[in-house]
Formats: sequence, C-alpha cells, structure tokens
Amino acid sequence: MTTLSASDSFLALPVAPAPLTQLRRSLQADTLKLRRTAALRLTLFSGALPVLLVFMIYLFKGHAIVKPGTDPWPSFLMRSWQTAGTLLLPLFVVLLTSLLVHVETKATAWKHLYAQPVGRGAVFVSKLLVLLALNAVALLLFAGLLLGAGALLMLVRPKLGFQSHAIPLETIVWMLGRTYVATLGLLAVQYIVSLFWRSFVVPVGIGMGAVVSTIALLQWEHADKIPYAAPLGTAVSLRLDKVKGIVVAHELAPHEWYSLAWFAGALVVGYFLLQRRTITA
Amino acid sequence: MNSTAPLLVETRDLSFQFGQRPILHSLPLQVPAGSIYGFLGPNGAGKSTTMRLLLGLLQPTAGSVHLFGYELRRHRVALLSRVGALIENPSLYDHLTGFENVEATRRLRGVPAHRTAEVLEIVGLTEAARRPAREYSLGMRQRLGLATALLSDPALLLLDEPTNGLDPNGIIDMRELLRRLRDDHGKTIIVSSHLISEIEKVATHVGVIQQGRMAFQGSLPDLQRLQTGRARLVLETESADTCRNLLPRLLGSAQVIGTGTLWLPWLTPAQTAEVAAAVVGAGLPLYGLRLEQPSLEETFLHLTENAAV
Repeated sequence: MTTLSASDSFLALPVAPAPLTQLRRSLQADTLKLRRTAALRLTLFSGALPVLLVFMIYLFKGHAIVKPGTDPWPSFLMRSWQTAGTLLLPLFVVLLTSLLVHVETKATAWKHLYAQPVGRGAVFVSKLLVLLALNAVALLLFAGLLLGAGALLMLVRPKLGFQSHAIPLETIVWMLGRTYVATLGLLAVQYIVSLFWRSFVVPVGIGMGAVVSTIALLQWEHADKIPYAAPLGTAVSLRLDKVKGIVVAHELAPHEWYSLAWFAGALVVGYFLLQRRTITA
Repeated sequence: MNSTAPLLVETRDLSFQFGQRPILHSLPLQVPAGSIYGFLGPNGAGKSTTMRLLLGLLQPTAGSVHLFGYELRRHRVALLSRVGALIENPSLYDHLTGFENVEATRRLRGVPAHRTAEVLEIVGLTEAARRPAREYSLGMRQRLGLATALLSDPALLLLDEPTNGLDPNGIIDMRELLRRLRDDHGKTIIVSSHLISEIEKVATHVGVIQQGRMAFQGSLPDLQRLQTGRARLVLETESADTCRNLLPRLLGSAQVIGTGTLWLPWLTPAQTAEVAAAVVGAGLPLYGLRLEQPSLEETFLHLTENAAV
C-alpha cells in the first residue's frame, strides 16, 4: 500500500527535523533529565573513594611507605590507580550505564520517547554521548582529587616529601587518556545490555558478574581481550624508571585496542538489534 | 462510514500478532478530520495495541497506517511532529518537577520555550509546576501527561484511557477540555476507553473493538439508530406463559423474563395499542405496559458480546 495521491492529502507533509537537529534536541532533553539523578551523583562522587582511601593510607602510614629522600609520587599514583582500576572503575561504568538508561525505564518513558519526532538513532546516540561525557567527567574529577590529595599531603605531612619532587603531570595525562579508552569497551557492552533488557537489575547483575569473573580469569592468555579487564590492564601498566621516575607508554596497549574494537562492535551490533525492537513499556 | 470529511487517520487491513498470538484482525479504523473519535472496547480487546501501531511503536504484521493521508511507515518522524499522544499511564520522570517534565519533551520537540508555561496553564497545573512529579496525585499525573501531549499544538491527539484514575470531577474537566480542543482549536482527537459512559457525551464518532475486530464503526447518531432498533415493550401481567399462549399472533415472538413479565420487540405505536387491547380483551390483568430503550451501555455490551461468539 502506498501513499495516497496528492489530492487525497489535505495537509502538506510536515518536514522531519534534520538528523543533527534531532540529536541536538535529544541532547538538550537528556541533559535536563540528569538533574537530581543517582547517575549524576555517582559521577560526581565516585572518584573520591579511591583517592580518600589512598590519602588516609599516606596520612597515617606514609612514613612506613615512603623511604626518606625518595620521590613519593610514583607509589602514590600507582596505589591510587590500582585501587581505582581493579574493581571500582569497571563497577562505576556498569552502575553509571544502568542508572542512566534506567531513568527512562523507571518513568516508562520509552513509549513516550519513540512517539516524539526524533528517530531512534538520535535517541541512541544522544544517551551514548551523555554516558561518554559523564565517564570523562568522573575520570577528570578522580585525577583532580588525586592532585588535590597530593597537595594536601604537602601541607599536613611535609616529611613525606611530596613538595620536593615534580608532579608527574605528563604521565597523569597519558594515564587518563588510556584509562578512558580502556573503559569504552565495557561501557558499550553495558549500554547495549541495558537498552536491551530495560531493567536495572539485569544489566547490573551481568556487569558485576562479568567484573568478578574477569578477576578470576586474569591468568588466562586471552584476558586482554575481555573488555571488563581493560581498566585493570591500564592501571598496572605504570612503570617506575630509574631515571625518569614514573612513566607510562605513550601509545595504546593491545588490550586498549581490543577495548576500542569492543566499543565499535557492540554499538554496531546493538544498534541493529535494537532498531526493530517493539516498544511495550 | 458515509462521511464527507477527509480521513485524518486511516488503517487498512491492519493486523498485528504478538509472537503466535493474534491481537488485531484487519482493522479498518477511519477517523474523519475534526472528530472526537471514541475508541471503545473491553480491556484486552486491542485498544492500546492499536494506539501503539498508530504511533509506529509497533510494526504491523500486515496492513498499513495512514496519518493525514501519508503512510506512517515511510514518514514516521515527519508525521509525529503533528501528533500528540498520551499512552496508558503517563511517562513522568519522578525526580523532575512538573515544569521540568514538560520542558524535557519541549526541548526534544524543539517547540518555542513559552509553550511549557502555556500547556501547564491549559491543564491547570501552573500552581503545582514547581513541585516534584513524585508528589503528584494520579489525576495530576494524567493532566501533566496531557500537557506534554499538547506541547506542539498537534493537529491530532491520541489519548489512551485518559480518564484512568480521575475522580468524577476530573472526568468532567477532561471532557470539557476535549470539547474545547476540538471546537476552539480544531483538533482531531482519538480517545480510547472501556466505558461508553465516559465517551458518549463528547464523541462525534465511535469505533467499537472486540477481540481485535471492529464490531461497529460510525458516527454517534449511527450508534443511536442501532440502539432504537433494539427497543422493546415490557408487559406485566398475572402469568406470562398463559398470556403468550392465549395471544400467539401478537406475542409469539415474546420472551418470558419472569413469571409475570414478557419482553417483545417494539415495532410501532399501533402495535403497543393492539397488545394492550388484546390482553384486556382476553380477560387478562394488565399491570403494566411500557416501552424500554436500551442504554448506549447495553448496546455497547450487546455489540461486544455478539462479536465474542
């Protein structure tokens, strides 16, 4: 059955908004919906936990960790990054993704969203961009707090010598970039899982199960191909150089390339899987 | 439907099945422009499924949906810009205020900023707009959902059970609002309900769906004509059986309802007079003889029962 002939149509066909307009409008709506959400609070506060833990360790036991006269920054950074990267960062991404998608599910708003003049592609990309932005904000806050904690230790524990050595800023910037890439694979997988099941419990359960299983599988020769293991892989790639102090390779490691591949693959497969989905909630 | 108004919404052989379970069978929905179309049927008859198909939320198994004369499948996003919808329970973000809830959809639709306050005014929620939606009563939630549906000043409104959870006053308010939207703003409105009493006072057209099939579709006067065809005479006497046996020509087609009560199809006023005279002439006591018009409610039930067989 085709469109009626023009004489039968008493209304000119309305113009559909351009794809980029649809995306911009979706983004404007999605950022408004973030207000007072658990997803936003999680983003703002999650970076504080690993920094607080490591700060406490240095505050009370720093004298036992740092040999007098040596640079305290390398061990400080390694400890913080490993605390964050092993469990907290993957779990953060799992929770953040599930919470963000759950904003629509809880409001039974999918049916409402898809009855608006925006395509499914705009809805899909807009939420993904919000997710990527929140993930970046959380990592930046983590790095900022880390530097803040170091500065605070200069003041309250000058004997540890944080003030006498240069802050390894270049290493921190590279670590930030590589860690971000390392989270992308699991972020995309969790995003698709959340969209597909439209519940809070299922994606969180799958995510937590995957993170825990990953830890058990770390000895496996293919562990670097598991997206949930990538943040840990990056966290342990910090190396202590006798001359340059703490360094990290200025390039992506294989597990980070796999993370990017998971990101692209999950999004493409997921998008086509979700295209034809019926909207019942 | 013998209407000259162009069809704003039309479905052709619209069928849908959920897995192996058929839900809709070749539904021929026809909604003229400028009408308030009451879409009636018992719960589970397929009303919500039809509404979802009209919005492209579900893909038909067969057949097609046409809005404003264009096929929905091919122009979904463009056509939806002229449609406002409230599907079942309104989709509200409890963590946002009433104002922010409307604002989220306003941004999504790219509607001018002043519309948010305007639609809140229309549904009477200006006072409560700054309170979080989680504190809203069921009626307020329904109105907030309606405000969201009105945002883009749509030519077509789809309202699925909009009176769900409203108190009697709320139902009257909703009815007034629908009438105003049609009369003053020229909107076409499809409103579904499982109660004909909620619809009969505002609807201009009616579609009755039963088990996924259209049991009746036409203007409200059409439905009322169907109703007069089903008028009956109620005769009260001493013994219904004796009475019927004594007057086989007049009462042969009558139904015995109680020991002393007979129902027979009403034909003409002369028939009424003849029955009265005959009963008295036969020496039987005539306690009562009255014409009974079935209510729209009964007509509706009759329609949905027939289709169920």
